[in-house]
Amino acid sequence: MIQLKDINLVFNPGTPNENRVFQNLNLSVEKNEFVTIIGSNGAGKTTLFNLLSGRQMPTSGEIHIDGENVTHLSEFKRAEKIGRIFQDPLAGTASNMTLEDNMMICSEKGFKGLKISLNRKRRLFFREQLKHLDMGLEDRLKSNVGLLSGGQRQAVTLLMMVLSDPDLVLLDEHTAALDPRNASIVLDLTRHFMETRQLTTLMVTHNMQHAIDYGNRLLMMDSGQIVVDVRGDDKKSLTVEKLIEMFGRVRKKGFVNDKALLSAV
Amino acid sequence: MIEGIFVEGLIYSIMALGLFFTFRILDFPDLTVDGSFPLGAVIMAVGITSGLSLFYSVLLAFSGGVLAGIATAVIHNRLKVPHLLAGILTMTMLYSINIRIMGNRANIPLLRRDTILTRAVELSGGSVSEEVVLLIFFVLVVLCIKLMMDLFFHTDMGLTFGAMGSNQQMLVAQGVNPDTYKVIGVGLSNGLVALSGAFAAQYQGFADVNMGQGIVISGLASVMIGEFLISSNRISVLTLRVILGAILYKAIMFLGRYYGYTINMTPNDLKLISGLLIIAALAFTQFKKSEKSSGIS
Repeated sequence: MIQLKDINLVFNPGTPNENRVFQNLNLSVEKNEFVTIIGSNGAGKTTLFNLLSGRQMPTSGEIHIDGENVTHLSEFKRAEKIGRIFQDPLAGTASNMTLEDNMMICSEKGFKGLKISLNRKRRLFFREQLKHLDMGLEDRLKSNVGLLSGGQRQAVTLLMMVLSDPDLVLLDEHTAALDPRNASIVLDLTRHFMETRQLTTLMVTHNMQHAIDYGNRLLMMDSGQIVVDVRGDDKKSLTVEKLIEMFGRVRKKGFVNDKALLSAV
Repeated sequence: MIEGIFVEGLIYSIMALGLFFTFRILDFPDLTVDGSFPLGAVIMAVGITSGLSLFYSVLLAFSGGVLAGIATAVIHNRLKVPHLLAGILTMTMLYSINIRIMGNRANIPLLRRDTILTRAVELSGGSVSEEVVLLIFFVLVVLCIKLMMDLFFHTDMGLTFGAMGSNQQMLVAQGVNPDTYKVIGVGLSNGLVALSGAFAAQYQGFADVNMGQGIVISGLASVMIGEFLISSNRISVLTLRVILGAILYKAIMFLGRYYGYTINMTPNDLKLISGLLIIAALAFTQFKKSEKSSGIS
């Protein structure tokens, strides 16, 4: 499904500020895999997503998605196959427009022409879909999205993303900015959608327990490298303590600083 | 006299609708307008004096505006120039182009020429006064444009434009190329502005290179006055209030021009008044915002 081949990424090459983010990074993800990714700040998780979505071009190396070489494809073109959700719950919706307008814009990817597609049938479909969220949003199709809470907006973003039927889903700490109650609602929805629809998913999280509970493969990143990669039964038997121990063994350094950041438990 | 205010307001409201599109919906402050307004006037005047049919002259004027807008958007997209600078570039170049189109002259008189307006007056057969005919004519024209705009903003493309001003990243994530939409949006907007210029030239009886000077400010003032009048998020109301704002703006300018002498004002002060109007509108919205944020939570 996804193949990263010998990815190198250097910021400000040849200057005192030179920053090598990735050196010969290789990663391949199978179809229908649900991969959780953890790592401390600056490990390269978000940059990895930027590379996949096309916001950041690699210095060298190749990126293949679904058998197609997308290394030099621009972000909006790749977006037709990728659904990405950001940490900021406001990033996925336009606050000055109504819920139904937002859902309409996100219904079909690519260039939008002069059709009027928002009709009664479409509204009924949106209502049906919004019922799955169980937030009472099905009666607020005409409300401006700006009036919804962060949790509701993120849930709507998730729903719209799923409805667009992407080949690859990138979740970039999409619950980190929500309060615990809303975060768990959105996470449950995430699990529900990803499992029922069998979507290939990469999910970055700061919460080790979530990384263990969700998905069928776990990656841990550090300084631009994938240092832990577990899947299948190995992943099922993981615990937070084991993860921390694995990290210490691989990096031969303490976890003291990162422990707080990764917010174990 | 009162008809005059309405007619002028309606003519300028076409320009204000174009400005509303770029400034409010696209969030693209477009200064091309100062050049595309006279461009429309100039093309129309040349069309009329050279004997081109009125229909084709209007069409050419509109297309000229669209091209000017496209030029600005392409400069902005391709050369990564900030939108303000891109607009100023096109506007400055248009000054020379407008003079070229007129055959190295600074203005063209249209007196005693056959224009769309004289046709409309002829059509009425003299049953009502000329001013009333013009008023009815422009009400119909502006209504048509307004309804077409409302319809446009209900299409998939129109909705996408609506989201563009507030969240461009969301559109990129939907596989939409914002650059393409900027070209379409700024192009259409300037088409409307040029159309407004074409009508203004026929109404005034001449086209002049300088008739676009400061037009951005008057359009922006119209949009802002409209926002005072009604608050809504429905597109049909948004376009309506731009039109009302443009008429009200003309009325204020009219008062300034005819009764300003009582407070020692001259017509030269009108630009100052326009600017002050905008500043007042901005200050008022600031004030309302701070009141809102300190009120709750």
